[in-house]
Parts: sequence; structure tokens; C-alpha cells
Amino acid sequence: MRVYLTSPWIPAEWVRAHGLEARGIWFADTFRQDTPPLAGGVCAFAESVVRLAEAQPDSAVVFTTACDQLRRGFDAATVCEPTRAFLFNLPATQTPAARQIFRAELARLGQFLVTLGGTAPTPEILRHEMAQSDEVRRRLRAAAPPAAARSYAESVARFHTDGSFAAPTVLDPSPAAPLALVGGPLGAKDWKLFDTMEAAGGRVVLNGTLTGERSLCPTFDGNAGWPPDSAAADHQSVGKPKPFDALAAGYIDNLVDVFQRPNTRFYAWLKPRLLDRHVRGIVLWHFTGCDLWRAEWQTLREVSGLPVLLLEADEAAGVSPRDANRLQAFVEMLTPA
Amino acid sequence: MTAPRKLSLSEWDNRYAELHRAGLREPAYGGPLRRHVEREQDFRLEQLQFDNSPAALRLWNFLLTENERLHQARARGEKIVGAMKDLGTIPVMAYALPGLRAFYPDGAWWTPCLMEGSDKLLQQAEALGIDASFCPVRAMLPAFQNGEHFPLPDLLLCSTGAVCDDFSAIAQRLEHLGHAIFWWEMPRRRQPAAGETACALAGNLTAPKSQVDCVRAELQRASGALGQLAGRELDAALLADGIRAANQVRRLLAELRQTVYAAPAAPLPALELLVAEMLALHFCSDREECIAVLEDLLAEARARRSRNQFVSGPEAVRIFWVNPVADLRAMNLLEDLGGRICGSDFMFTHALDLIPEDLPPLEALARTALADPMVGPASDRAARIVRECHANGAEAVVVSRIPGASHCAREGEIIRGSVRQTLNLPTIELEIPSVCDALQPALGSRLQALMETARARRTK
Repeated sequence: MRVYLTSPWIPAEWVRAHGLEARGIWFADTFRQDTPPLAGGVCAFAESVVRLAEAQPDSAVVFTTACDQLRRGFDAATVCEPTRAFLFNLPATQTPAARQIFRAELARLGQFLVTLGGTAPTPEILRHEMAQSDEVRRRLRAAAPPAAARSYAESVARFHTDGSFAAPTVLDPSPAAPLALVGGPLGAKDWKLFDTMEAAGGRVVLNGTLTGERSLCPTFDGNAGWPPDSAAADHQSVGKPKPFDALAAGYIDNLVDVFQRPNTRFYAWLKPRLLDRHVRGIVLWHFTGCDLWRAEWQTLREVSGLPVLLLEADEAAGVSPRDANRLQAFVEMLTPA
Repeated sequence: MTAPRKLSLSEWDNRYAELHRAGLREPAYGGPLRRHVEREQDFRLEQLQFDNSPAALRLWNFLLTENERLHQARARGEKIVGAMKDLGTIPVMAYALPGLRAFYPDGAWWTPCLMEGSDKLLQQAEALGIDASFCPVRAMLPAFQNGEHFPLPDLLLCSTGAVCDDFSAIAQRLEHLGHAIFWWEMPRRRQPAAGETACALAGNLTAPKSQVDCVRAELQRASGALGQLAGRELDAALLADGIRAANQVRRLLAELRQTVYAAPAAPLPALELLVAEMLALHFCSDREECIAVLEDLLAEARARRSRNQFVSGPEAVRIFWVNPVADLRAMNLLEDLGGRICGSDFMFTHALDLIPEDLPPLEALARTALADPMVGPASDRAARIVRECHANGAEAVVVSRIPGASHCAREGEIIRGSVRQTLNLPTIELEIPSVCDALQPALGSRLQALMETARARRTK
């Protein structure tokens, strides 16, 4: 059974440990394909998730409460008949109650996965999955700074598709303006954006979209007390966090997103990277109707001190000629005469 | 006894003089409605129709003097609490503590309407990074920055999690601008799974005990912050008293709604009912006076019903109205076109339901907060609307969209679908901006078509 995840903050390891196939929905072949004109105010991403849930009844879709559009998209997808859909309550705060919610949701997701035919994992299986994904995330994080943008996006997509590592190609030294791309999910159908930015004379040195480098933040380093592999002797586990606890903590403590309240963690993640990579401008990518990202436009400018271009994605995937034009003007503005 | 009638502001000038000559006694915030136009630039009042009763005069004066009364409270040394988004929960706690006065800065969303945009709040919000793609609650942002409306709160608390993205995003922007916010988590309400302990909530809802526990823990944190501000712990006894007082307001509102909505014709206009219902949220910043205002209105409605005196004819189409309107004029428009309100869901039905008094107070408040129609599935909200439509004999349903509000993109269709499927009632969805004059012909045509459809069904 294939389980599509709509957020990188839902542990794919947990799904795989249940013996099911976890897939980031952004990279599914049929995702954002032929989305019809949208009703007023509906986000194209959320609508595409709803449509995929309806079109692929043999697969399951895990929605989240991270935004109103997805939360209510779940309502729309399940209002007529129950589908294989699950709504994961992603807490916005970082309080003890939020941690408790995340743990409880993870447990509830486990029960859902069992109803889909999955098997409740043993600690060893879960440890194994966690160790594998932790290692891939670590390698991808390390590979980020010198990587070519599109190739890096493909590597991250590969990880979110099957959990494996593919080394991205390294960026050739070039005089192009270094840009950061931040915002919501950037699916495979939208990767043309990288080419457009390069054609305009820029290069993405930081992919802070939901499906870029930022999605690799979960780590079990801080909870590394759990034995690294199934060969660990029982006595090594005494007094150490159980893998389920480490999994929950590794995600909730490292989640970096603008829906968090306060969303200071996002800026704490972003600021040093902007400096380290000598970013000269930021492209803020968001879907029409996404209030959470759109509202950050001004704050991004204030916090970074950099120019920010707002790019709005709608039902048509890719980059419109108008947006290509705007990108070109933006990059020209950043390029020293 | 004067027969019920709706008056323009000019007509109210004469009516006020007449009442004054007859010995009208008013509270400290009383006076002619005209002064709100002159002093506060509440120009929209000149376009509204008001009920002609002294009770309505008191209601309007209570509403329109809120900022002034808050400033007076601050001057007296009281602490001001800004509650945001939860609509009806934090104020119950704040008013339980002596020396605290809570209000919703969210209420600034009506300022552009009342001032007919002369305040330029929406344009200022845009300059602060929040443009017209957001709901009119963005007016709150510049109101905080320019300090020309409500006093800056001593403590700001905002619920987050399963809330509207618009509001959450605007509140976050507010925090970035330097206004510290105490965030508390509101989980998305769900049905208990098999084997989970369930808790009954108001409105025929249930939620898992784990969610109630979570909200209770968050309210406990909020209680600590409020207690610190008040210099006194909010203990169970104080909170229980606060809940009893809040329930007094809720009981009055329930009686008022029943008296008006169930009557053969409307004893009070829709606009005054909308304003009265809003008092449930934070008692319009004065709990005791709020009770007096509602008692007056209820007495007026009862007296009119007993005399068979109404502001609408018995032929008026019975409309159930969903969501608050950004422009108050829309409520007049509905009645001008031959409709009347027979039920409403202005997004805070949980603030109208009684808070259980037989549970530990924080648990009771947590259960009430979790019954918020906006934190659960749209189907729950739709189910309550269907029940109330059925109970009140609604002939049609209007879902009023709030411009830019993220929840409106989907839930309107779910609610309308449920109403059509269950009750086979005609429904329409309308978007009402802060000042709807330019759209009035189109809005009017759509409402008229709805009324005609509803009337045509009577003969079948």
C-alpha cells in the first residue's frame, strides 16, 4: 500500500516501519496534473491533494492541519464517503501540550496504518528505518551548499520518494546572483522554476521550500541515546529513549516552518544560511490562497534585509511568462552593474 | 408605547430628543447616536437602519463606546487583556480576576465598515505587509501600531493550531512588529477513535479525552499568565464564579435568540440581534453592563411579542445566516428585501452554549473551547446548522463569505451541500466586503432571487 504524505513533518520512517510505502505527494506522477480551474480562494496545492486522494482510492493520503487549506481539504475529501485519508494534527506551538499532541498523533497514525494492512513495528525495525533516514538526511544536508539547485531538488525528492540517497551534482562556479528560494511545497512539476531562475542570471544556493533543504531538519542526533542498529544489546537500551519517543522528539523538536507559533525557529534556521551562502535576494514561492507564506513577505524583508520577490503558484504548474519576466527583472536588479 | 420601527440616524436624532424629553435615563456611556459620527467618524451609521427602542439605543451606545470605556478602565488602573481568535474562552477567565478587563482586538475588523474606510486601516495594513488577500481582520494590525482605537493590551493571548490561517498569519505579523503574544494550542477537534475515552461537548459534539486534556493544560498555562497580570491566582472558585457570570450572559442570549427567532415575525431587527450575539464574546468589555443591556433587549423583545408588534411582516422569508458580515448594512439589506433572520451561526456558537457548571471549571471551559465550530470538521458545523434550520423553520440559508478568509474557500460548499441534501432548502453564498455599497445591486439581486425561490416553495 502506498501512503502519500503531504508534509515532510510526518515521519516517513514510521510508515515504512509499518511495512508500507511512504511517498512525498509532491513528486507523484499524477500530482498537479490537469487541475481544473479552482473555486475562489482554494489553494491549488490543497486541491491537488484532494484530487489525488479521490483519484487513487487504492492509496492512502495523510493530510495535516498545518494550514487551513489542507485541513479543510481533508473535510472536502471525506465529506461524502470515507476515503483512505488521515488528518494528522501538526501542533503549531512548541509547548509540552504540543509535544503530547504530536506523540498521540503519531500513535494514531500507526493505528491507521495497521488498518491499511501495515504491521505495528518492533523497536528494531523502527530503529533501522530511523537510522537509515537520519543518515540520508545528514548526507543531503551536508551536500546542500555546493549543490546545483535542480539536481539537489531531485535528490531531496528521491529521499522523499523512497528514502534513498542520490548525490546531487555540484554547482559550477558562476557569476550568477545567489538566490534563496523559500516557501511552500515545490513539486516536480514546478522544477522548471530553477531553469527559469538560471536563465534569468540567478542561481538558487538555498532551497528553503517545504520540499527542499528545510525538509531535512528532522534529526535524531539530539536523541541519539537509542542504539544505532538492531544489533544493540538490550543492556545498551537501558535508560535510553525508546525509538518511538526518539522519533517523535526528532521531528517535533526540529520541525522548521512558518505555521509554527511563534515562527522564530524558521528565521533562526534561515538567517545564518543566507549569510553563509552570500544570498543577494529571496524568492518567496507560495500558492494562491496561502496566507501563512504570503504574510511572511514583509517580515522576510525586514529580517533578512534583502529584496524579496513574491511568486504565486496557481493551478497551472510551472512558471508563467509573466513570472519569468518578473524573475528576470528581479535578478537584473541584484546584479551589480 | 411606541410601535416598533426601524429608524435612520436622522430619525433617531428626533427620537432621541423625544425620549430625552420624556425622561429617558441612560448609563454613563449614553447619548444620541449622532455623536458617534461626529466624534468617532463612524460614518456608516448614516447608512444604517436602527431599531427605535431605548433598549436598542443602549445596545448601540454600549457597542460604540467600547474603546472609550477601555481607555477609561486603563486610566483607573485596570489591566487590559487582548484575547485573540478563541472567541469566547479567554475573556471568561480574565473577567474572573478582579482588575482585569478583556477584549478582542479582532473586533477591529468592523472599524473599516463603521468608519467607511475613512480610517485607512486596510491601506495601512497593506503597508505593513498584509494586503487585500487577507480577511478584513487585518485592520487590527495598524490599529495596534497607531494606537488610535483600543488601548494597547497589557497581555495578548492568541489561540493557534486549528484556527483560521488569516488570523494566525496576521497575529504572527503583529508579533514580528514587536507585540509579544502568548500563544496557546488549539488542536483540531476530531471524533474519538474506537477505544478512546470520549468527552461530551456542547452542541451535540464529542471529542477524545486526550484533546480535552490538552486544551485544559493550555488554558492552565493561560490562567498562569492572567494570574500573574492580576497579581492573584485564578483558582477554581474564582473561575467557577466567572463561569456562572458568563453563563448568565449566555442564558440571556439564548432567551433573546429564542424569543426573536422563534416568533411568527421578527420582534427585533437582524442587525441588533447580530450585535447582541457579539456581546457573548467578551461582554463588550463590561460584563455587568452587558447583562443589563441584554436584559433590556430581552424585555423589549418579549413585550413586543406579547403585543404582536414586529419589525417585519409575517410573510418575511425565514433565513438562516452563516458567518458574520463585514458590512453591517447587509443585515438591513436582507430585511429591506423581505427577509428576516430565524437563526444564525456567526462562527462562535460555542460562545453561546452554556459552560457546564457541574465539572471542574477549567475542564468545563476546555470542553467549551473545543466545541468551537471553526476548530472541528466543517461537517460538524453543517450538522448544527441543519439542526437549527429545522428547529427554527428556516426557508433558506445564506452563507456569507468573508473576503479573503481562508476557511471560506471550502466550508461554504460543504455547509450548503449538507443543507441541500438534508433539508432541500435553497441556499446562496455571498461575499460581503467591509463596505458593500458598490456591490449592493448584485447582492440585492441574489438575495431577492433567494427570497423568491423560498416564497415560491410555500405554495407547493
